[in-house]
Amino acid sequence: MTKTLASLMLAAAISSAQWLEFPKPGVPRLPDGKPDLTAPAPKSADGKPDLSGIWTTKPGYTGNIAKDLKPGEVSFTPWAAELYKHRQDTQGKDDPQAYCVLSGVPREHVVPYPFKILNATSGRTNILVILYEALHSYRQIYLDGRKLPKNPNPTWMGYSVGRWEGDTLVVDSSGFVENNWLDNGGHPGTESMKLTERFRRRDYGHIDLQFTIEDPKAYTKPWTVNLEFTATPDTDLIEYVCDENEKDLKHLVGK
Amino acid sequence: MRPWLILGALVAASPTPAQWLNYPAAGIPRLPNGKPNLAAPAPRTNDGKPDLSGVWDVLHNRPCPPEGCADMWIPQEFLDIGWGLKGGLPYQPWAAETVKKRMAENRLSDPNWKCLPTGIVRMYTTPLYRKIIQTSGLVLILNEREAMYRQIFTDGRPLPEDPQPSWTGYSTGKWQGDTLVVQTSGFRDGIWLDANGSPLTESANITERLRRVNFGTLEIEITVNDPKAYTRPWTVKLTQLLKPDTDLLDYYCIENEKDGPHLSGN
Repeated sequence: MTKTLASLMLAAAISSAQWLEFPKPGVPRLPDGKPDLTAPAPKSADGKPDLSGIWTTKPGYTGNIAKDLKPGEVSFTPWAAELYKHRQDTQGKDDPQAYCVLSGVPREHVVPYPFKILNATSGRTNILVILYEALHSYRQIYLDGRKLPKNPNPTWMGYSVGRWEGDTLVVDSSGFVENNWLDNGGHPGTESMKLTERFRRRDYGHIDLQFTIEDPKAYTKPWTVNLEFTATPDTDLIEYVCDENEKDLKHLVGK
Repeated sequence: MRPWLILGALVAASPTPAQWLNYPAAGIPRLPNGKPNLAAPAPRTNDGKPDLSGVWDVLHNRPCPPEGCADMWIPQEFLDIGWGLKGGLPYQPWAAETVKKRMAENRLSDPNWKCLPTGIVRMYTTPLYRKIIQTSGLVLILNEREAMYRQIFTDGRPLPEDPQPSWTGYSTGKWQGDTLVVQTSGFRDGIWLDANGSPLTESANITERLRRVNFGTLEIEITVNDPKAYTRPWTVKLTQLLKPDTDLLDYYCIENEKDGPHLSGN
């Protein structure tokens, strides 16, 4: 439950109420003052849907990003099958996240922490920025019409360009690191991964996300996941410094 | 030696990322030879305010040793934020002792080498790029270092009275003429303002005055008011230079930290 996550986080921070409860103007409200999450999606100045806001992902996918897929839909190459088995057998001992290294994309979509989408498409800037509370990181999606670079420097977030297809923002990404983990379970991603994400804000309170993973080194065919983000208005991100209070490593001993 | 040598060093670690870094951004004034005209007037947003957006680098005001500049070519203020002040920083006695101790221990307790956040002042003096994105109601600073971001709310909200202490603090900004005046409080104890270990405490508030003097230059005046650590408020001025036609690269200290084993104290 999304609300439970939010309240767990609140519980960790004593008397932080003021910080987290800035009522944002422009949020549609119900008669009782609560945000109306089923109101129509807002639009940017250019008439496109505005994806801005604080969002939390649908819970349940942190361990297995492909949870809803039928057997055979995620079809490993022999190399990836062995790697995935090794990661499962060693209980995530080598998970980069345990070392406070970034989750990367698309793993950020299944991490149970809020994130903020910022629409920086006015004036001279034309990008979408996503700020992640988890591990305190960010991702840039260029909307200025540039193409994906042919041989980008590999990064955890990859290099992303987006374009509108009707009311759907379609984002193509490549340039990912070789040692990617797509979830806690260790679904592999490699430098050959191409990610296509389709973001659609269906109403004020919800974004439907569909993403397709195409990574011929790890999977014999592309596979697609459907997720949903829920808006959490009137709050903001708080600082998350993994490196300051890391408790996982000593428990990660494999088998 | 010029600042782009640092960029060269960063690039050297990764083969052929040239395409990534050489995307010519639209809207940059150009000289007849196609190079960015950094002396052109500062750009403005639709509402007429100066637009601070861009990728910024430190002013490299520290001479390089004869053997050449280091990969991470630090400015003077990285070592001593009060470098430009006559008589140095006005430390309280305990703060002066703390700095002495930290230096004597060869910076063993510096949060920087533990890959912890640097805080807002040291972020400006770290020789890695930062990108300012100015939107209506929010100015965002994305930093290469640790992929850290900072939000400055310009939507008129007040500073919280009792914020959750953090490395970055809570920031609000408002325009005074062509200057963005940013107020920040809500710091945690244990922040270092420079590599000398000049402390910042929970009692601090910081005022920044950001002014884009021309297309290629950003001036940042920082006033630190921290009565617990300093006998009076003090002000330093930093200069940042625009890096056009490029963008941020990943820099994750935690992924390749090499300092710890060499920091053994005395």
